[in-house]
Amino acid sequence: MIKIWSIKKDNSSAEKKKPKVSAAQIRVQKDLTELALPETMQMTFPDEHDLLNFNLSITPDEGFYRGGIFRFTFNINNNYPHDPPKVRCIQKIYHPNIDLEGNVCLNILREDWKPVLNLNSVLVGLQYLFLEPNADDPLNKDAAEDLRTNRKNFEYNVKQSMRGKDVKGVYFENVLS
Amino acid sequence: MKVKIKSWNSVAIWKWDVPNEEVCGICRVAFDGCCSTCKTPGDDCPLIWGECSHVFHMHCLLRWLATEGSRGQCPMDRKAWVTAK
Repeated sequence: MIKIWSIKKDNSSAEKKKPKVSAAQIRVQKDLTELALPETMQMTFPDEHDLLNFNLSITPDEGFYRGGIFRFTFNINNNYPHDPPKVRCIQKIYHPNIDLEGNVCLNILREDWKPVLNLNSVLVGLQYLFLEPNADDPLNKDAAEDLRTNRKNFEYNVKQSMRGKDVKGVYFENVLS
Repeated sequence: MKVKIKSWNSVAIWKWDVPNEEVCGICRVAFDGCCSTCKTPGDDCPLIWGECSHVFHMHCLLRWLATEGSRGQCPMDRKAWVTAK
């Protein structure tokens, strides 16, 4: 007969040894297998053994930012999914919801994060920022003002910035793919 | 014919009273499994039900409620978490 209680005891002694794979890693692994990356997104892992730090590039196929390639870094800490991933844009871009340091203003990456969300939710959120920049919740106030008051002008400025030109004296990075 | 029973083994199964094939929304592991910090499912890694009807592994939920960002809310519907009795 199988001695259930002794199995349990064996397991609990194994439990004391530090687990090789953290809960965060297990969860990220699950997120990644469920991920359905659209053609406009690409993920790369600089260290293939480290699932918690990776890069994402977005190449929007419509909207103001069409034709650009936008690069982000993802850093996931060991408290994931209780803490949201840290997402940063590594280029200087002209966007109402991304500041010049690359901080991203997306509600689910901040106050509205909850652990039932996953990497897919974050990717959908980022994709959405490029299709529908949001002037009501700005990190770059100039860009938001621009979008609110004159869409045509905003569109022109976005195109200028994507070519690596300056917008109101600030030089941006050439992101054309 | 007479049968003499010399020995017998009993077998039992258990499962949580939750819909089949459902997973905990926080760790994404089956409810009948355990949260990612535990090794043995069952009483050692119980489930917790909220009055909002949402279910999680207790350890997963408590860890979430302990974070500042949770504001004491259910991770599904963002209503104040009240454990069902």
